[in-house]
Amino acid sequence: MAGNPLSRETLRPIVAPFDSPGTGLSIVVEDAEGRRLAAAGSAAGEDADVSTSVGIRCAEGDEIVGRVIGCGAAAIVGPVVGSLAASLEALVRSTGGVDPTAVRLESELALARQIQRSFVPLVPPEIPGYEVASHYEAAYEVGGDFFDVFRLMSDPTRLAIVIADVTGKGIAAAMLMAFARPLIHAAVDNAQAPADALLRTNRILVEERRSALFITALCAIVDLASGELRLSNAGHEPPLVVPGDGSPARWLEGSGPLIGAFGDLDLGECRVELAPGDTVLLYTDGVTDVRTSSGERFGEERLLAVLDGCRGETARQTVDSIAASTRTFQGEMPAADDVTIVALRRT
Amino acid sequence: MALTTAVEEVTGRVPITVMALEGELDASNFERVIEEARGLYERGTRHLLLDLGGLAFIASSGLVALHSIVRTMRGEAPPDPESGWGALHSLGLDVSSGSSQSEVQLCAPQPAVARVLQRTGLDRLFTIHPDRDAAIAAF
Repeated sequence: MAGNPLSRETLRPIVAPFDSPGTGLSIVVEDAEGRRLAAAGSAAGEDADVSTSVGIRCAEGDEIVGRVIGCGAAAIVGPVVGSLAASLEALVRSTGGVDPTAVRLESELALARQIQRSFVPLVPPEIPGYEVASHYEAAYEVGGDFFDVFRLMSDPTRLAIVIADVTGKGIAAAMLMAFARPLIHAAVDNAQAPADALLRTNRILVEERRSALFITALCAIVDLASGELRLSNAGHEPPLVVPGDGSPARWLEGSGPLIGAFGDLDLGECRVELAPGDTVLLYTDGVTDVRTSSGERFGEERLLAVLDGCRGETARQTVDSIAASTRTFQGEMPAADDVTIVALRRT
Repeated sequence: MALTTAVEEVTGRVPITVMALEGELDASNFERVIEEARGLYERGTRHLLLDLGGLAFIASSGLVALHSIVRTMRGEAPPDPESGWGALHSLGLDVSSGSSQSEVQLCAPQPAVARVLQRTGLDRLFTIHPDRDAAIAAF
């Protein structure tokens, strides 16, 4: 097969119904003889079966050179299978063969990125009297950042903001994120207070022993009428309040242990009143840990300086300024960690 | 910035392996540190002192490394942070039952590192000594 380039036209999609939704999420790459080159995902594709999955054949003329088989939710697996089939084709074209390690890494990263992408909220909710803006940028190897902004089911006059970082990276972090994000959302909807929501989440994660990884998480609930913000912090970077009256920005200190590590958490709460013009900024350590090629960190002081330059600006402008500053700062260096920023401004 | 490790055997009341970390412990190297600790365990280390004096920075993935090293030194197969759900389900222990562990102790964290340990509550998992001598005497 070496030397004869494959073309996109010769890729043959095989689409079969998903009749086993309970089998998790996996990608398997096989060569022409059906030997497994790489597997990524839950149960590493043990139960992936071409008859119940989406697959793409990479074929050269009539000769099949490999298959990419995905198993799981079509929205996540579909695009991954397509992009991997293209990668596989490119690998065969450039090397005349397929390096299993390269395929495995590519499979895992593609799956992790797609999981991550499918959970990032694209459109912030419209909230009269407030403005919400966010920025999310995945690291090449994909960290486990996530955030969520929603009105409470039990009381739509209150707004919840969650930001979190699953420790670790790659597919393990992405999958724990995919598990934890709706868990926290449901906990917040049913909880009396932010600390209660994080404690409920922790109890489930610890009792189910889901993961070797941890989650730092911050949950804020805003009473939209009064502007009162209640906040609980499980090991996460403290958020910043930027007062609209021009006084210095300050961190809302106070945090307890991260989620998933300890059976009992002593999580406190803090409160702050948001006056019109005030902004609260939530972020993950990917922001302050951005590096230059010489290893210098962006750090908290630079973040404060950027915020000082954003006085009176909208939440959108503030978030964009921070994202632009970190990008300029790191220059050509690829981001080592996900970067997530969420700003809420009372207008 | 890179991370370097230097390993040294010392004798207190028990044989202690000291691993000095220098540089920054982050997503790019935390798996290597877990691997090194696993290698030490396989070669007989049962008491490990992590000297953090040269560690300028610890990212959240570094916390995973610290936790995995504790599991390794307690003789458990540590979870592979790169693997998927299968490995995640096979876990048998969380930090809450490991808070009394003394197999792995820490010394000399710089303020930035101490702050992260404190903020995330991971300081509960370890006895943290001001310097190497105090730590060696405590094993």
